[in-house]
Parts: sequence; structure tokens; C-alpha cells
Amino acid sequence: MSFLDYDFMQRALIAAVLTGLAAPAVGTYLVQRRLALMGDGLGHVALTGVAIGLLTGWAPVWTSVAVAVLGALAIDVVRARGRASADVALAMLFYGGIAGGVLITGLAGSSAATLNTYLFGSITTVSADDLWVVAVLAVVVIALAVGLAPQLFAVCQDEEFARVSGLPVRLYSMLIAVMAAVTVTVAMRTVGLLLVSALMVVPVATSQQLTRSFRTTFALAMVLGVVPSLGGVVFSYYVDVAPGASIVVASLIGFVIAWPVGSLLRRRNARSLNGEDPRVTGAHVPTEQHPHQHDPACGHPAVEHGDHTDYLHDGHLHAAHGRHYDEH
Amino acid sequence: MRAAVVDVRGLRVELDDRPVLHGVDLKVVEGEVVTLLGANGSGKSTLVRAAVGLVPAAAGEVRLFDTPLKAFRDWWRVGYVPQRTTAAAGVPATVREVVAAGRLARRTPFRPARKADRVAVEQAIELVGLSDQANRSVATLSGGQQQRVLIARAAASEPDLLVLDEPNAGVDKRSQEAFARALRTFVASGRTVLLVLHEMGPLAPLVDRGVVLDGGRIVHDGPLPTPSMTLTGPPDHHDDHREDYGAGLFG
Repeated sequence: MSFLDYDFMQRALIAAVLTGLAAPAVGTYLVQRRLALMGDGLGHVALTGVAIGLLTGWAPVWTSVAVAVLGALAIDVVRARGRASADVALAMLFYGGIAGGVLITGLAGSSAATLNTYLFGSITTVSADDLWVVAVLAVVVIALAVGLAPQLFAVCQDEEFARVSGLPVRLYSMLIAVMAAVTVTVAMRTVGLLLVSALMVVPVATSQQLTRSFRTTFALAMVLGVVPSLGGVVFSYYVDVAPGASIVVASLIGFVIAWPVGSLLRRRNARSLNGEDPRVTGAHVPTEQHPHQHDPACGHPAVEHGDHTDYLHDGHLHAAHGRHYDEH
Repeated sequence: MRAAVVDVRGLRVELDDRPVLHGVDLKVVEGEVVTLLGANGSGKSTLVRAAVGLVPAAAGEVRLFDTPLKAFRDWWRVGYVPQRTTAAAGVPATVREVVAAGRLARRTPFRPARKADRVAVEQAIELVGLSDQANRSVATLSGGQQQRVLIARAAASEPDLLVLDEPNAGVDKRSQEAFARALRTFVASGRTVLLVLHEMGPLAPLVDRGVVLDGGRIVHDGPLPTPSMTLTGPPDHHDDHREDYGAGLFG
């Protein structure tokens, strides 16, 4: 394939694979915790970090990691306090991040075009140095997300229970926030800061249409992160659009395909496993439309059941209840 | 004399600067089954949450297994069932996965589960009668079944003390009975239970002692209140079914 002859494309594709794996891995925990929008906020905050890098001449990869991690810790502290005003505080942090980023970029004399490469990704700008940083960070994030899966699962599933299990919940909670911040930076060059959150959330949403366990949701989300990441980067090679846009659109197409399949699976599941047998739960289950009245002459076998009589009808026991029949 | 498992002395708790418990003493000894009863807002839930360290004490002391709460490390000895309407979170998880989270108090990070861990998880699922549903997503279970999942999760660490916060709220009769059975098995091995209940239901025969709270103070501690002394005040028309009530308590 011709695009593989270019060094910049090789680097962009490696970065895409790493991003495609790391973003849904962390995203699964965020979605489980119902913090799906956290990645979005961190992307905004990281923009200020990038701008500081542009202003000072330090590598934007490092300055954005530093600022995003600080932002993540601030968010986690505000969240843990659980005050009613927390969401407003977070919103202000996010607006501050993006406004600060644009402001400082302007002060640095950089153009809007430069800023755009960070906001929506750019396949030609992944330098060899960047790639090393991205690779190391992504591998650490993926290793932690997989290696600590039982602990992180417990903390995200039920924080209070995890505390009474003696798990260091604050530590794990901050770890997830920091992993999310690092992932934002890893993803900066491929999907970009404004769309990174989509790559954390959409593959997870698609995956859970088709799965019923955490483990398979997690694994499938990583696959569903890599495929559109690679596809989006290749698409951007042929058509001159920001890779962030093509990656996210590809990812959303996956969701649109999976959603009807998922709702079909759920409906079938609900029908075949419709609760426990009403005879043991004692629940009130009216029968469906009933064409005739059961009586000793109707041909359905009568079964004595305590103070009343049930009639055996197609393997169900029907008992008269007012003007309809109950399943017994 | 049996050792104290939960020992609360002079506990005061404030939530959002509002006093909720005013100097409460509660002692639960080994092998006992103690129920906290009381109206909504009486502080019964806060008392168990403070006992497991989820809400801080403004004054007083909490000891678990004769160790001050701050120094307590053997969390596997405590199985906690929080008050929840669902066992599900934002991502699907199977019954087995949720129950396995209860085993983490006994596990080391980055180490795979040992055989003993897997066996304990299967036993906990069996204890609540959900072995057939172990691979189902918890979100697809009924409310009562989800509550049983939370109880199995608490049992997975093979604890010496179970602390349950309204495990029967909104639970169908079959799940209540499955829960009563699980609790009977647990108590039969000489272990301790502290639970918050709204109504006794099928659990009544298991309970040794009832502690009634009202307005953040203990107003009754001893054998279960009789029908003529109701939990929330003098009898009124809600207590008409008094015979049923007695049967539920002692039958």
C-alpha cells in the first residue's frame, strides 16, 4: 500500500493504534462511573497545556500532559467533595481551559491553523519524538487499565462498597482521572483534543449494545476503537480532512449499525428470560388476550390450587381473576 | 462473654452540619443478629454507615472486632450491602463479575484470582439462589434478584460480620425468602449480622434483638417490640392487622 511508504504515515498509524486501544480502555471505566463527559472536559483543559508549550517552546506533548493531569486531579477533588455546585465548578474549569488555550496561543503568535492540528488531529505532524512519548504513555495506560481491572471495576461499579472492602478508593479514583488525562494527550495528534472524548465513549456505547459482561464490553470496545482510528487516518491520507473528524464519524457509523442489532438482542433476551416462574415468585401476571371462558366443560384440564381452580392451557396454569386470567 | 464485633460509643454524626445522631451507643456481640428499626430519617441508615466508616463521626468512637475504625484493616471480615435500587452501573456486568468484586478484600492487585477466590464467588452466588443466572447481565434481573446479587457480593469475602442496609426494600416475596434462607445459613455458622429493616417480613424469626431509633436517639434496645408498642408511636389504624404483625414477628 502506497501510504505505508511514508514515514509520517507509519508514525500516524502507530499513534492511531495506540490511541484506539487506550481511549476506549479508559473510557469503559468513565462510562461505568457515569462520567462519560470527563474526557471532553480534560480535552478542553489540555488545550491550555498545548498553548503553554507553544508559548514557552517546550514540547506541547509534555506541557499538555502536565496541565491535563492537574485538571484531572482538580476534577476528582471537586467530584469527591460531592457539593451541589460541583458541576458548575467543572463547567468553569472546562471553559477556562479552552479560552486560556486560545488566548495563550494568540499571545504566542501561533496561527489558528496550528491550533486546529491539536483540536482535530493532523496525520502529518506526529514527530518521532512525539511518537515515543505517546507510545510509552499509551502502553502504561493500557497496562494499568488491564492489570488493575478487578479493582477499577469495583470502584466504578459501587464506590461505597469498594470503600468498605478496604480498597484505596481515592487513589484508584485519582488514577482513573490521571489515566484519562494522559489518554487525552496521547490522542491529541490523531483524533485531537475536541474529539478525543468521542473515542473514549462511542466504542464503549457500541460495544455494550452487543455484550452482557464487563470483560467482553471492555475487549470489544478496544477493537472498536482501533478499527475506526486506522480507517480514519487512512481516509485522511486520501481526502484532506482532519483525521479526528473521519475517526469519529467512522466510530459513530459503527454505533448506528450496532444499535438495532442490540435492541433486537435485548428484546429476544427479555422474552426468553422473562423473570422467574410466576408460580414461585407469586407475581401477578395477567394472561394475554383470552378467547374463551374456562369452565369444567371447556376441555382444558382443571387443577385444584388452594382455594380456587386453575386450568391448564398450553402448558400454563390460568386462574380466573376478575374479568381476566392470571398465570399461576 | 462473647466478644464485641461492633462497638459504638457516644456516636454523634452530622451530615451537612445537621446533627443526625446524638450520642448513640450500640454493641453487637459475636453470633448475634441485630436489627435497626425506625421511621424514615430516624438515623438508622446513618448509624450503620458510620459503623463501616462511610460517614465520619463528629464525636464518639466506633470499634470493629475490637479495633478502632481508623486502625481497622481486615475489611474482608465485613460484608456490606449498601442501600441500592440496582446492582447495575453504566456498563453491562454479569452477576458473577459483580459478586467477584466482593472478593477483592482478600486479593492482591495485579495477581490473578486463585481457586479459593473462584470457589468462594460461586458459593456466594449459590447462597442466594442465582447460580442459573450467573452469566446474565445484572441490569436484566428483577429488583429482588439484583438485591440478592448485592448480598452475594457481600458474602463473597466470607466475612464474619454482615452489615445490610434495607436489603428488603422493594423486593418481591420470593427474593425476601431466598434472602432469609441465605441469612439463616450465614447465622448458623456462628457469624454476626447487623441490619437495617423497614419491615421484618420473613426475617423475624432470625432476629435476636431489635434496636429502635427515633430522631437520632435509641429509644428501644432489647427483644423485638410487641405489637402494642409500635416502632413509630402509639398504635393507629395502620396497625389494624395486628394478628398478622405478631405472626410476622414471631411465627
